[in-house]
Amino acid sequence: MVMGEKIRNWLDVRIGLNELIRTQLAEYRVPKNINVFNALGTIAFVGYLIQAISGMFLMIYYIPHSDHAFKSVQDIMTIAPYGWLFRQMHVIGSNLLIAAVILHMVTIFLMGNYKRPRELTWISGALMLLLTFTFGLSGYLLPWTQLSYWATTIVTSIPTAFPVVGEYISRLFRGGDYVSGITLTRFFALHVSILPPLFLILMAVHVALIRRIGLSATPFGKSDEEKRPLTEFRKKTHPDGYPYYPYLVQKQALMVIVYFMVMFAFITFAPTFFFPEATTVPADPFRTPETIRPEWYFLAPYQMLKLIPNKFLGISMLIVVAFLFVFWPFLDTQKEKNIFRRPVLRWVFISLMIGWVILMWWGKR
Amino acid sequence: MRRRGFLKALLTFFGTVSLASFAYPLVRFFAPPSSSAVNEKVVLAKQEIPIGGSKVIVFNDKPAIVINVPGKGLIALSKVCTHLGCLVEYDKDKNRLVCPCHAGTYDLQGNVISGPPPKSLPKIPLRVDGEQIIIG
Ligand code: HEM
Ligand code: FES
Repeated sequence: MVMGEKIRNWLDVRIGLNELIRTQLAEYRVPKNINVFNALGTIAFVGYLIQAISGMFLMIYYIPHSDHAFKSVQDIMTIAPYGWLFRQMHVIGSNLLIAAVILHMVTIFLMGNYKRPRELTWISGALMLLLTFTFGLSGYLLPWTQLSYWATTIVTSIPTAFPVVGEYISRLFRGGDYVSGITLTRFFALHVSILPPLFLILMAVHVALIRRIGLSATPFGKSDEEKRPLTEFRKKTHPDGYPYYPYLVQKQALMVIVYFMVMFAFITFAPTFFFPEATTVPADPFRTPETIRPEWYFLAPYQMLKLIPNKFLGISMLIVVAFLFVFWPFLDTQKEKNIFRRPVLRWVFISLMIGWVILMWWGKR
Repeated sequence: MRRRGFLKALLTFFGTVSLASFAYPLVRFFAPPSSSAVNEKVVLAKQEIPIGGSKVIVFNDKPAIVINVPGKGLIALSKVCTHLGCLVEYDKDKNRLVCPCHAGTYDLQGNVISGPPPKSLPKIPLRVDGEQIIIG
């Protein structure tokens, strides 16, 4: 104990440890009525951390070349000791991470927490969601299986519906007229060296804004949201709130445990859940397999593209939807945060959810 | 004050120009050089494809199919679906080319019959010379 005390003192002199603990943990207060859903952002962050670490492990054995990629991934699964564990954590983690980020976004939406002054927090979050999808997309090609190859062929053909620039964009991604080893190198660069720093920057903005502005109180029941002029900034100190540590930290710890439980439940009881048959066959540019389907989170937009007969119209609609999503806080300018007092918004939300589920289910067949 | 304004403008100008001068190299760097394979002819022996038969070839680096259509003779078509780039398969019994991805179907002349493909499969010029089929 004396040793611990000494270390603490040593650090306090150099980095002001005691002050950091006081201001960041104890005096940083969160509203009394927050709930476990306020820990979902942290889950997204922890999820990313797991991806980063397991990804580093995979890179020890992975070979980013079209002649070796498939074999090297098989070797990770069968030869490298515990390679299967880290690959499973990475693959299942990527799916869970996306589910967590989507859930985080949905709860933020339902609680109206994107409203003034948190528009930029929403925008940085929305960009991170798009970035997360790009992580998934680029990672999908790396094992160089039949599924990776043909799913990527389909996705990189999508921009060609655009006149003039479409061909250029498609060739930009593919590095040629069709998916090849050059595409693999590009996607690898994207996945491990271009996207991560972009994510870190957005994450820093996201968290800095949250810390500066303070967490929102849940708009249901007792709410301490104050009325103040639109132009004025006052940090939400929540004087009547609870200290961040241990009140919210407890909830975060609980959610992290749940996240790991779900992950290891998959690894133990459904290890092939995210590996359909076409993932066991190496990529063959001369044969398209029978069923080629994108990952579940792309099924809805994919089905939408299939349903709209005009390719250009379909893709333009997707882009419009993405724009509406990113800039949503500027479109919904009503002050009322409680969705139970917003009948129209509630119906918009419910129909969006139903539409999404139907499209997803339809796309899966 | 005027000198300061002038220096500011100068700095802005040269700063912008030096940054902007990277734009063109970047656009060129990321876009790959266009494909090098130009119309290399593929030669097949005539008896390789009996009536109703077909053969998959690689033409200009891309898969194509040569079909001996009963009653209509030989035709060479690209196998790359015009929808989103999957490879069509020859269904001999139904006399159709079928795409496994979104069920686009084409007749044996490459015309779209049903499904999402926006245009017909490109035809590749083909010529019979004695016992040889010359494609390209
Ligand atoms: C991609 C990874 C993401 C990470 C790592 C992340 C992380 C976090 C964290 C740690 C918090 C604070 C605690 C909480 O309320 O959960 C938070 C809050 C928030 N996030 Fe995210 N987030 C992500 C994506 C998103 C997305 C996609 C959106 C919406 C489009 C979003 C919008 C917000 C907003 C508006 C808040 C403020 C909540 C409040 O003040 O009560 N975030 N995020
Ligand atoms: S790629 Fe052939 S129908 Fe879609």
